[in-house]
Amino acid sequence: MTGTRRTGVEGIRMTQVTALVLRAVAAGYRYGFDVMDACGLPSGTVYPALRRLHAAGLLAARWEGAAEARAEGRPRRRTYELTAPGVAALTEAEVKLAHTRELLDGLAAAPSGGAR
Amino acid sequence: MRPSLWWIRAVSALVPGEGRRAWREEWEAELATRDGSMRHAWGALADAWYVRTEGWTMNGMSRDVRTALRGLARKPAFTFLAGLTLAIGIGANTAIFSVVDGVLIDPLPFPEPDRLVSYNHEAPGLGVNVPVIPHSEAMYLHYLEGARAVDALAVFSDDNVNLMSGGEPQRLAAVQVTREYFDVVGVQPVLGRGFVEGEDRPGAEPVAVLGYGLWQQTFGSDPSVVGRLVEMDGVRRRVVGVMPEGFAVTDEELWIPLEIDPDDADGGSLGLIGVARLAEGATIEAAQVEMQDLLGRYAETHADDLPPGILEQSGLAADVKPLKELFVQDVRQALWVLFGTVGFVLLIACANVANLFLVRAEARQRETAVRTAMGASRLDMMRQHLSESVLLALGAGVTGLALAAFGVQGLLRLAPAELPEILRVGIDGSVLAFTLGVSLTTGVVFGVVPVLGYGRRDLSGTLREGGRSSTDGEGRHRARRGLVVAQVALALVLLVGSGLMLRSFVALRAVDLGFGTEGLMTFRLGLPGAEYEDGEPVVDFYRRLTERLESMPGVEAVGMNTGLPLTGSKSAGPMEPVERPFPEGQLAPLVERRQITPGYFDVMSVPLLEGRALEWTDQGDRYRAVVVSETLAKAFWPGESAVGRMIRAQGDDEHAWEVVGVAGDVRFDGVRDEPLPMAYLPVLAGDAESPLGAFGMDVVVRVGGDPLAAVQGAREALRSVDPRLPMINPRTAASVVEDAMAATSFTVVLLGIAAAVALLLGTVGLYGVISYIVSRRTPEIGVRMALGAPVGTVLRGVLGEGMVLTGIGVALGLIGAWSLSRALGSLLYGVSATDPLTFLGTAALLGAVALLATWIPARRASRVDPVQALRAE
Repeated sequence: MTGTRRTGVEGIRMTQVTALVLRAVAAGYRYGFDVMDACGLPSGTVYPALRRLHAAGLLAARWEGAAEARAEGRPRRRTYELTAPGVAALTEAEVKLAHTRELLDGLAAAPSGGAR
Repeated sequence: MRPSLWWIRAVSALVPGEGRRAWREEWEAELATRDGSMRHAWGALADAWYVRTEGWTMNGMSRDVRTALRGLARKPAFTFLAGLTLAIGIGANTAIFSVVDGVLIDPLPFPEPDRLVSYNHEAPGLGVNVPVIPHSEAMYLHYLEGARAVDALAVFSDDNVNLMSGGEPQRLAAVQVTREYFDVVGVQPVLGRGFVEGEDRPGAEPVAVLGYGLWQQTFGSDPSVVGRLVEMDGVRRRVVGVMPEGFAVTDEELWIPLEIDPDDADGGSLGLIGVARLAEGATIEAAQVEMQDLLGRYAETHADDLPPGILEQSGLAADVKPLKELFVQDVRQALWVLFGTVGFVLLIACANVANLFLVRAEARQRETAVRTAMGASRLDMMRQHLSESVLLALGAGVTGLALAAFGVQGLLRLAPAELPEILRVGIDGSVLAFTLGVSLTTGVVFGVVPVLGYGRRDLSGTLREGGRSSTDGEGRHRARRGLVVAQVALALVLLVGSGLMLRSFVALRAVDLGFGTEGLMTFRLGLPGAEYEDGEPVVDFYRRLTERLESMPGVEAVGMNTGLPLTGSKSAGPMEPVERPFPEGQLAPLVERRQITPGYFDVMSVPLLEGRALEWTDQGDRYRAVVVSETLAKAFWPGESAVGRMIRAQGDDEHAWEVVGVAGDVRFDGVRDEPLPMAYLPVLAGDAESPLGAFGMDVVVRVGGDPLAAVQGAREALRSVDPRLPMINPRTAASVVEDAMAATSFTVVLLGIAAAVALLLGTVGLYGVISYIVSRRTPEIGVRMALGAPVGTVLRGVLGEGMVLTGIGVALGLIGAWSLSRALGSLLYGVSATDPLTFLGTAALLGAVALLATWIPARRASRVDPVQALRAE
């Protein structure tokens, strides 16, 4: 895939799944199946999310080097990593998430819901 | 193989083309890390589906366009050549279509144009060259009373008016109309009103309705002009209304009432053109049937004007047809011919571009093979080709549209006569739709051709041979030859067409018109009836003007005629020899009657074959003298002298004319129409009671040098005789003849251009194919020459190949031309539609050009250095 592509968060709707996948890649899970394991989501959910994030320019994809693969005695795998817009999008998503958590915690601390 | 790998392979079929292989490898590598377990493989279907749908809908489309743009940009020369070829083809089609659309297809710009009809007659038996036979006053009143199939019926008559404003005379195109006229066209004045009952009857106050442009320019858009008195032709008319902007049927700027006296309606002169608005729900056929019925009853009650025998002989019948037909008669055929012609040019352009694409496909075989090996399907390849060709065609369409916008202006300048203003020619919605359609179609047509060969092909062979597979190109090679044959054939059809038109043009040029035009300047004059009393004052005016003009330096001769030949003026009536009148009820020959001044024959170089010319003293009541044309003299007195004989208007027992001279024949109606029988009458054609002076005259002046240099002097001469008279339309007599031949020269020029483009494109196509054949056969030719084959044999071989293609094309082209040239029909003159000389001549011309186009690559082949050719292999 070549040519100019729209980058940035406005190019994609950030759902729970995409945010999760983005977080997993940021955490260092480079391969599709590793992301899958980390998120605990099926491949049919993770892969389209990866494609979407890649198309939006939040993730960069490349084939690992032949030497690397040969050393491990397996075919070359495709690796994913965050781009600069990806980092920005993730930060934004996490800020939102933190905000949501605060709201949720506030609700949990309310008198009527108080278990303590 | 593990089931998960089968699964991935099967699902990968969903992934489009280029990405498929990478997609599969990614999944295979991931699955390998999990021992290929099926548990993780199911999601591949969702992924493949996602890639497919997203890829096709958005990224895929834009990617196709981007890839296509890059592909085109990589070969700027190819893109430019192919694009320009198409732009010329599409532009020419758009230009002609916009004229066809405006003139033949678009409805007239009036409300409910379908209901507007020309309400007139036809008279095939008269053999006169006019679009319709109009009404007499009495006929019109008769129809007006009886017609039920029409809501409104009006008659009009073209007129010219001298308007006095600010002390300067201004000549205006005007129309005299009956009061129903504005109801018929369905347009009412924006200011004031139209004409009301009684205003088209004698004795009413003179009124007028102004055109918008006239109101703006001459009256400064002053709304208070309504109600004001304005002097026109010496009559003070009250302005009652102003028509909306852009309203005009021809180019008129003024409407005045056509006065008819119901108690004394003229039944003899048929000069009023009828227009009508059909009643709601009425058809043209119904109106025609009703009109025919009314005509029958009219003939019964008006046997004096329309004796039964004459009715039968002339075949006078009702003729109701769409109003538009009144205006487009002359140009219809030429336009369709031109439209067909540019269609051919576009086909040739398409064939050329398809050929270019084939060459390109040839050059890109290796790329194609690689991409197919990478998993691109046949559909993907076709998509890529189509996006390139459609993109190119759309770009060419835009350029073509721009070319057409200019072209239309040029076309209209060249166009025969002036098209009436209601036929609005220009780039509008339907033209845009047409261009888009043509562009898309051409893009698809020539985009598909190169792809047809794809599919069953030995890819590895192509890769191994470095893209110069010799077997695999055979199908496309055949396609290229087929395209060249088609181009040659189409080009020949156009060449024959333009050859026939050229021969017609030459034949028309060679026609002896019967008069000369060299050194002649002409202008028109209209004497206002209110200023000049009919009789002696009229003669006196022309005599004084003649003397003034003759006294100008450089002027050799001066003459006047109520209507010059080839100007479209018509004034014919049946005439008979007095000693041998035609039986009542049988129509005598229609004789074209003109009033002339004594100098007319001299200035026009019309030979006087017998007797004498007219004199100033030959005035109506004193001495009724007439000069007749040779055709008339021979028709009435074959083998005898006409001088001294008497002729008269058919059935007129009171007046007769004595023939004093016989003049040579002239072509009057048109260059291609045989000379008419003519009677030249003096300036005063009547008698003392009704002098019938000529109030409108074409003045002709012969000068030594440039005819137009005499315009200024003539204007001053006219001013010195009557300062209020404007000089109308000064021009050379030669331009009158040019105008009369405009339809032919227009078609000749455009067909010539089309044929030249076709010849050029066809030749380029042939050259390309032969060059290509030579380049492919270079190794073979090298071997043969190394083995001792003489140069001549090689040369002949290549030439032969080109000549075979040309020969087939020429044969097909001749057949095509044979069946199509009849469409030129009446545009041709003095040459048959299947003229063998033209057919063979153009075929020979095409053959010669084709030979040249083949000769150059053939020569290159014969100079092949065997060593180099073999090394290249």
